[in-house]
Amino acid sequence: MSDYKAVVIGGSAGSFAVVLKMLSNLKVTFDLPIIICMHRLKHIRSGLVESLNVKSCKEVIEPFDKQKIERGQIYLAPSNYHMFIEFDGSISLSTEDMNHQSRPSIDYTLSSAASTYRDKCLGIILTGANKDGAKGLKDIADKGGFTIVQDPKTADVPTMPKAALEIMKPNLILSPDQITDFLNKL
Amino acid sequence: MDAKEFLVQLKARTGYDFCDYSSLSITRRLEKICEENKLTFESLLSKLVTDKAFLSKIVEDITVNTTELFRDPEVWISLYKTMYQKLPSTGTITFWHIGCSVGLETYSSLILLKEIGVLDRIRVFGTDLNPRVLNVAKKGSYAHKFNEHFKTNFEEVMRNIGSKSKFEDYFDIDEKNDTMTVKPFLSAIPKFMQQNLVQDKAPFPYKVDIVFVRNVLIYFNDALQAKVMQMINAKMYDEGMLILGKQELIPNRYSGQYKQLGYVHKRM
Ligand SMILES: C[S@@+](CC[C@H](N)C(=O)[O-])C[C@H]1O[C@@H](n2cnc3c(N)ncnc32)[C@H](O)[C@@H]1O
Repeated sequence: MSDYKAVVIGGSAGSFAVVLKMLSNLKVTFDLPIIICMHRLKHIRSGLVESLNVKSCKEVIEPFDKQKIERGQIYLAPSNYHMFIEFDGSISLSTEDMNHQSRPSIDYTLSSAASTYRDKCLGIILTGANKDGAKGLKDIADKGGFTIVQDPKTADVPTMPKAALEIMKPNLILSPDQITDFLNKL
Repeated sequence: MDAKEFLVQLKARTGYDFCDYSSLSITRRLEKICEENKLTFESLLSKLVTDKAFLSKIVEDITVNTTELFRDPEVWISLYKTMYQKLPSTGTITFWHIGCSVGLETYSSLILLKEIGVLDRIRVFGTDLNPRVLNVAKKGSYAHKFNEHFKTNFEEVMRNIGSKSKFEDYFDIDEKNDTMTVKPFLSAIPKFMQQNLVQDKAPFPYKVDIVFVRNVLIYFNDALQAKVMQMINAKMYDEGMLILGKQELIPNRYSGQYKQLGYVHKRM
């Protein structure tokens, strides 16, 4: 499976349904770690991981601090924690200030993945009502990683994909189904 | 100069040692400080070496102090059933909140201890590196409107432990000055003291029964985590219990010494 070391995905408003569909249509044999950072509504703090697990091809876990990232696993940033990918390939969590009113911040997860995986990183930005994530995706592109932005025309809320497109040029602009196909063909 | 070099220099020239903090998080903090003060790592360092007041301020800014009353209510609800209701029925019980920040975790615990009815035989310590948060903890006074979720968390916990207590039983609310202040009968109990986990011993002479160290070890690398675990083990009674943050596990080398029951890690 390809040269990549990990797939990192960021999304906000509307992205739950997209991620759910992606994970349910992904081949069980998909072997790269998938690292997901999604904004959550304030009043729905728990339950996200459970809901994803109803349909996902593989178990989605909210990692513990310092947990090693392994092939074939799916990680979801826990509510109220920022999630970083450390250089040794482990996850670290933090509760520092919000970024773009968000904790977890997609920028933080994506930028740290960019530094750690460099050109072996595959980054994806989905629908969302917030700018958080655009800079992170740019960092992935700047380090030579591969980047995909959800086509704003297919996004529930296009602010996030548009913010990314304003500051960088992704390798691909795709609909959610095309993104899943792309991953399945890796 | 990069963040790592900066930290080595800072340690050599001021004695403040953040070298064993998780690298990405500490790097982000430092970059933010540079940005806010319009400084480079080099110029930040020279200012820190010459300006004592600035140094204290930056040390305070480096630490992450986020906390809440009853942060992660489901954890407290579980602790009430698995721990608070099962505390020994006689004798003094000693609590230690490591990295207590502005004291809200300590007061959350004290509220549950009052609910159980054991306030008269507990000893409670809160320690932190940052003097600014310790001062707030001692006063037990917080902004009101900004922190409305404290009340939401409080009510969720009380509902789930079958208590009729009201927020106003524990806090004095001053609408005019927009503050809520822990009532004196509670805020008189804990002792808040400064301790730097990197280099200081525990600042009190007692052994402890229950240690909270939530969302503190996440900022440290393996080496510093191990050091803190060692200090905790040395201070804790054999039947002691340890409470970590919701997304934390006992560091690898020590996991064999504790048995996990829900959110409680019991010493074996
Ligand atoms: C995120 S807060 C956790 C507050 C509380 N335990 C909770 O979970 O709500 C982390 C605290 O650890 C403290 N801290 C960081 N480094 C420390 C050190 N070297 N020694 C003692 N305390 C430290 C910080 O000042 C901060 O108040």
